[in-house]
Amino acid sequence: MRKYSFLWMLFPALLLYTVFIAYPFFSSLGLSFFDWPGIGPKKFIGLANYKNILSGFMASEFYRALWHNIVFFIWSLILSVVPGLFFAFLLAADIKGTKWLKIIFFFPNTLAIVVVGFLWGLLLNPQWGLVNQLFRVLGLGFLAKPWLGDTKTALPTIIFVTAWRGLGFYILVYLAAIIGVDREMTEAARIDGATELQIAGRIILPHLYPIIATTAMLKFIWTFNIFDIVYAMEGTQGGPAGSTDVLGTLFYRIAFGGLGSSQVGMGLGATVVTLIFLVVFPVSIFYVFIVERRVERGE
Amino acid sequence: MFRLNRFQKVIVWAFLLLLAFVNLYPIGIMILSSFKSTREIFLKPFNLPAVWRWQNYVSAWQRADFATYFKNSILVTAVSIASILLVSSMAAYVIARFDFKFKRSIYLYMLAGLALPTRLAIIPIFLIMRNLHLLDKLSGLVIVYTAGGIAFSVFLLVNFFKKLPHDIEDSAQIDGAGPFRIYWQIDLPLLKPALVTVAMFNFIDVWNDFFFPLILLSSKVKKTIPLGLQAFFGEYTIEWDILFAALNISVLPVLILFLILSKQFIAGMTEGALK
Repeated sequence: MRKYSFLWMLFPALLLYTVFIAYPFFSSLGLSFFDWPGIGPKKFIGLANYKNILSGFMASEFYRALWHNIVFFIWSLILSVVPGLFFAFLLAADIKGTKWLKIIFFFPNTLAIVVVGFLWGLLLNPQWGLVNQLFRVLGLGFLAKPWLGDTKTALPTIIFVTAWRGLGFYILVYLAAIIGVDREMTEAARIDGATELQIAGRIILPHLYPIIATTAMLKFIWTFNIFDIVYAMEGTQGGPAGSTDVLGTLFYRIAFGGLGSSQVGMGLGATVVTLIFLVVFPVSIFYVFIVERRVERGE
Repeated sequence: MFRLNRFQKVIVWAFLLLLAFVNLYPIGIMILSSFKSTREIFLKPFNLPAVWRWQNYVSAWQRADFATYFKNSILVTAVSIASILLVSSMAAYVIARFDFKFKRSIYLYMLAGLALPTRLAIIPIFLIMRNLHLLDKLSGLVIVYTAGGIAFSVFLLVNFFKKLPHDIEDSAQIDGAGPFRIYWQIDLPLLKPALVTVAMFNFIDVWNDFFFPLILLSSKVKKTIPLGLQAFFGEYTIEWDILFAALNISVLPVLILFLILSKQFIAGMTEGALK
């Protein structure tokens, strides 16, 4: 047995991970078949929670939140990848002296999401917020709107603020990938008479597809977990009139209360989480598969 | 990387500086506003403060009980990161250096955690903490963060352990050193840069986390900075001078650390996506 004396060093991590991460995932699935307010006896109700959410009294709220998550994903993906690539190429184009720019671009990522939410909440205040005052000064008074108070603009505004915080991450990830492209290939193309734009678009860009796909997968997983930014800017109700309600805030109201909840329950909450998980799971599995394959190849 | 003429360079830099401006402007406004009176913020939002009102910081600090929030945040973050580094590096060492049955399955099982957002497991985590009487305790938070940080940290560290040269270890083994001593005395010191990267990644996650404190903590004296900030914003909605000051206070420690260790920060946060 002495041969395996090293194994104990694996156990603390394995134990913590199993008890507090892996087990809760399965336990959550189990809870979704019960009616349970959080204390007292659990009542098994089969698929009733799923029925209530997918086609019952919770359906309209659920699909609205799900739709907002989907919209959020699509727009924030576009707002991350397109400017992310654009600025990564610009940084790569003239790399000298860009150390400070990289730090500036990345800085918003280090801010807590609630801090970003509160800051922009103040900046976007309809009367005194700087954004509207700026529009008025620039003679664009028609753009001075209650951005967070209008059901049409609230969600796009939150998506924009999220993109503002996250962009630097994408720029730097793509930049690292661009720099990683084999120089010989770009030099050869240059000798063959390719313009700089052709080198960027036809030679380097295709090499970035895998990393773009990876960031898109991460974005997908993250987007279906958003909560903080909506909470900080629009509250647990996802106001105004539920126009920014996402699965995260819907779940929070159901499982942990909050005024105006139509129904409070751990079983129902676990069902929402399980449904979120079902949406995220295929992408997650694919992501782990890719990560694992890279590890296997021994990078 | 690209060959540009002078005109193209000007265009490239114009765009880069524009983005720098878009990033810095809100931050600059946040800093300047924190030194103004509320009236000044409203009426002269673009000007420099007429008088630099440092007392905004004093009132924000006192009214929000920031001293307590800072103490809690520092404690939780420091202990969480130390625990993550210890348990993850031990596990990574075993996975990278030894062969045993089910090793591959165990590693894959832990890698799965990379894609499982811990938040989705919050209900059972909440219930477990309730059973363990760890609700509203900072130690409960530390446990959740440690468990949640393991997957990514083990993953990164395994790759680093694999890159270490084997020969020093082999000679130590001949000298009779056990696995723990080899790990602790030989491998860990060589892994310092990797440990810093892992620490940085987890630092941002833990320090800025709002969700778990919101669910797991309830009393005022236990609040961490993001949660304390939230209570503060709910209470003083119209006193913008101290709201801005409070935002700055909450940002300052990370800002300083980021400026000192920006390279490690950026490596820590982008490494996961690149690997």
